[in-house]
Amino acid sequence: MNMMIGLEVHQQLTTERKMYCDCPTNYQNVPPNTNVCPICTGMPGSKPLSPNEKAVDAAMELALMLGCKVIVDKPTYIQRKHYDYPDLPSGYQRTSLPIAVDGELQGVRIREVHLEEDPGQYDPTVGSVDFNRSGVPLVEIVTEPDMHSPEDARKFLRQLIRVLEFTGKVRPEAGGAMRADVNISLEGGARVEVKNINSVKGAYKALKFEITRQNAKLERGEAVTRETRAYLESQMITTPMRAKEMEEDYRYIPDPDIFPLIIDYIKVQKIRERMVEPPHLREQRLVKQYGIQQAAANVIVSERKFADLFEEVAKEVDPKLAAMWFRTKLKKVLNYMKLGAADIKFTPKQLITLLQMIQHHRVTPEQGELVLRELVRKPADPKELVQRLGLERIEWEDLESAVKEAIRRNKKAVKDYLAGRKEALNFMAGKVMERTGGRADPREILKLLRAELLKKS
Amino acid sequence: MFQIGHHTKLFSYARADVDTGLKMAEERQKEIERSAEEIVESFVKAAEDLPSEREMYYSQEEYNVVRPDGKPSSIDERAEFRKRFIKIMPAKDEDGNLRVEVAKWVK
Amino acid sequence: MGEVTKAKRELLLNGELSPVENVRRALERISKLNSKINAFIEVNNGAVAQAEALERKLKRGKRAGKLAGLAIGIKSNINVNGLRATCASRTLEDYVAAYDAEVVRRVLAEDGIIVGMNNMDEFACGSSGETSAFGVTDNPTAPGRIPGGSSSGGGAAIAAGMCDLCLGTDTGGSIRNPASHCGVVGVKPTYGLVPRQGLIDLGMSLDQIGPIAPDVYGAALLLEVIAGKNLNESVMLDVLKASYIDKLDGVDIKGMKVGVSPQFTEITDSAVMNVIDKSIEALRDLGAKIVDVELPHIEEAMPAYYLIVSVEFFSATRKFDGRKYGKRIEDVCGDEVLRRILRGRYISQKEYRGKYYQRALQVRTIIRRELMAALKKVDVIVGPTVPKLPHKLGTKLAPMEMYAYDYLTIPANLAGICGGVVKAGEVDGIPIGLQVQGKVLGEEQVLRVMLAFEAVS
Repeated sequence: MNMMIGLEVHQQLTTERKMYCDCPTNYQNVPPNTNVCPICTGMPGSKPLSPNEKAVDAAMELALMLGCKVIVDKPTYIQRKHYDYPDLPSGYQRTSLPIAVDGELQGVRIREVHLEEDPGQYDPTVGSVDFNRSGVPLVEIVTEPDMHSPEDARKFLRQLIRVLEFTGKVRPEAGGAMRADVNISLEGGARVEVKNINSVKGAYKALKFEITRQNAKLERGEAVTRETRAYLESQMITTPMRAKEMEEDYRYIPDPDIFPLIIDYIKVQKIRERMVEPPHLREQRLVKQYGIQQAAANVIVSERKFADLFEEVAKEVDPKLAAMWFRTKLKKVLNYMKLGAADIKFTPKQLITLLQMIQHHRVTPEQGELVLRELVRKPADPKELVQRLGLERIEWEDLESAVKEAIRRNKKAVKDYLAGRKEALNFMAGKVMERTGGRADPREILKLLRAELLKKS
Repeated sequence: MFQIGHHTKLFSYARADVDTGLKMAEERQKEIERSAEEIVESFVKAAEDLPSEREMYYSQEEYNVVRPDGKPSSIDERAEFRKRFIKIMPAKDEDGNLRVEVAKWVK
Repeated sequence: MGEVTKAKRELLLNGELSPVENVRRALERISKLNSKINAFIEVNNGAVAQAEALERKLKRGKRAGKLAGLAIGIKSNINVNGLRATCASRTLEDYVAAYDAEVVRRVLAEDGIIVGMNNMDEFACGSSGETSAFGVTDNPTAPGRIPGGSSSGGGAAIAAGMCDLCLGTDTGGSIRNPASHCGVVGVKPTYGLVPRQGLIDLGMSLDQIGPIAPDVYGAALLLEVIAGKNLNESVMLDVLKASYIDKLDGVDIKGMKVGVSPQFTEITDSAVMNVIDKSIEALRDLGAKIVDVELPHIEEAMPAYYLIVSVEFFSATRKFDGRKYGKRIEDVCGDEVLRRILRGRYISQKEYRGKYYQRALQVRTIIRRELMAALKKVDVIVGPTVPKLPHKLGTKLAPMEMYAYDYLTIPANLAGICGGVVKAGEVDGIPIGLQVQGKVLGEEQVLRVMLAFEAVS
């Protein structure tokens, strides 16, 4: 069944002061109506302070993260959006015109990014309002309806939150700092908006419920009308919120008490330069720049320091080799020792040396892994470690003679192999490994054995 | 054309006068709506022959007046206001929450 | 004429009159006259105690503020902590202000003693003083006639000598209109010169707080105290401090270019214009150069204003939902307030915005341009304040007839320039005020002309 799903995601920004007043933004652990003043409670005669600069900058940075074009050299008005609701102290919400447009993340187009202020906290079942949260700066991200299943939406929302949280400019979703409105329309039905969703799980459940509900209606021959519904978390259902067929007219006007913003190009450049490259963009760049596989890049960007180390190493070592080692062996060792990239104590130079040795076949991959483990545990010059561990790669003549020796001493195994028993080969390889003290590449051993045995057959 | 809103409560009158009261209130509103239009029509006429212009939203052209983030106000600075704010609430609970209506869409 | 405030101030400063005595006299006068004139909605019971505290402070040798010991009335739409800011409406009849407006803070910082909250037209929506929910205000200078509005109580209180100075507000003429009708002095400052933090809005882009006084000196003194940038507000001019008193000594207007517009004569009743014409002659006699200026679209300013102010007032009143304080405004307000709310609600609808609201803002640009052009040719523009004489209390006027009082005062609000009124003469005992309009931040020139005129009238 065809469906179109779009999201409007609101997430709180990590500022110390509210958007239009100097009240603190930590509304979670204080008694009700404590972090408030005449401005964020909409007292008669109150006027906003100028917008919080850090919030404006953060919104720009987030927009750039999402590949948007920032609106420059044109006034961005802060508007009043009027509607009646108990948590809205002034009867309007201050919301900016788009700060940026036309971005994209994971194949979903971002229509726009703008700044808003949070309303207070309204408990609709009890009928109580706490204005501690009123005025906390929010960034709102609006997508095009490019998602086509609840799974799509969940995947996108998770990724979006990851990207936003990566910047350090938004509060973690886990703390209730994220709110999403989902829009869904099934083929043959009108668009339904669902509000009051505070989690990724909630978005998913709300969509599942809506699909069921709307399908049932369509099957009965009833029309799915345009409406706004509320998600009830405890029951995992949606319920009608506004019984209007027409869109609510918010009567937007530029707020006469706040001068408009005009973002200039230089500011955008400065922010871009200051910005930390987000994982999803870095992943793409690594693939392109170093020619490595997507899957490897994905693992590498899981931690910023891990990716930094990779790029350092890739300067002097074959990137594809490095990528393979980072993705598999290094990650494995770190996980096993329960360490993160930040805990790494060896120097990039040391890792480079080791990887170069592997690249030039000075040590086998298996030997390299042993050295790596040691490197993580107690960093030292890899060349030293190789010697200490007795892992110097064996010389060709020595290997040859060891193979010939093994063949000479294990006549039965040779006979078995020539008779068709493949496992005899492994037996002999084992003997060679014993003989060479693990300093030979098993693949080389097998190759050489086969070649010698071929002579005999 | 003019609507007050879906939860309008017009004048409150003594029970005995409710019907006449409501009727008077409706008439009053109609009359006010009608008289409100006059100046709008007068404006449209007056502006007919005037050229198009940039809209003047603000008395002075000023942009990017922003405020740096920083240390928020202290609890002492806000304590007085909190007391008064809670005092003038029409309905409140013992924790200082404002009490308002329950949402209609709650089951 | 005109030395009242200066003389009073000297008496207070040299100890011949004590603050407590001055305040007591004011309170007595209020008590005696208010039942008839109704200039005050509430009297400050703490005024005498505050005067006593001031006296103690002065005895300790502390510096006396500019308003030390003067009895000040504050319009009821300005927040004074502990007093009711009712806006003369049932909506806020019990609203005890929870904070001080910035201008009040400044008045108190200069040792002014607030004696009470002045009556006004409900929510400043009026030009007569007849729409207060607390009863009409009478004109002490022309008893039985309207005192003008919306700062009706301020004009009447000064005219009746009930206090020394008043703070009023002016959105379309609400200081200048009652100043003219009551025969006192009033000044509307340049938009953005005086902070609005704590002023309950009528039209955010138009409102200004200003002084009402028995003389130009008093107006200049109070204006100096309240003017200047407020860092806790966004839309303000970059003027840190203002000073006028010093500049008014030995004032002389020889050579000043004074503009007069033929459009004023077209709009104004001849009875009023006769008085104004004589005033212009007086200015000529004082050495001013009278210059003709054209203001071809001045009449269109009035309807444009009423559309703009209705939209802004609609927005401003959304916070009066009865939940946090007071009552829901639409439930209890008077006719004119409801008229503006409904009109604002209607014309700010999405489909009508361009035709009405935005078009009115375009006309605003035209008016501003005309005034600015005229003010380039002259230092000030003089003329009548109101086009007709104040009607008798109780006369039934249609809304359009009421709006007609504002023709001559509205242009200054639309353009954001300053304007003051000083008594020019009388017709049958009814005062007529001369309006003097000046450039942006041209208060000094305006006050000079007013002061020079006052000295000879």
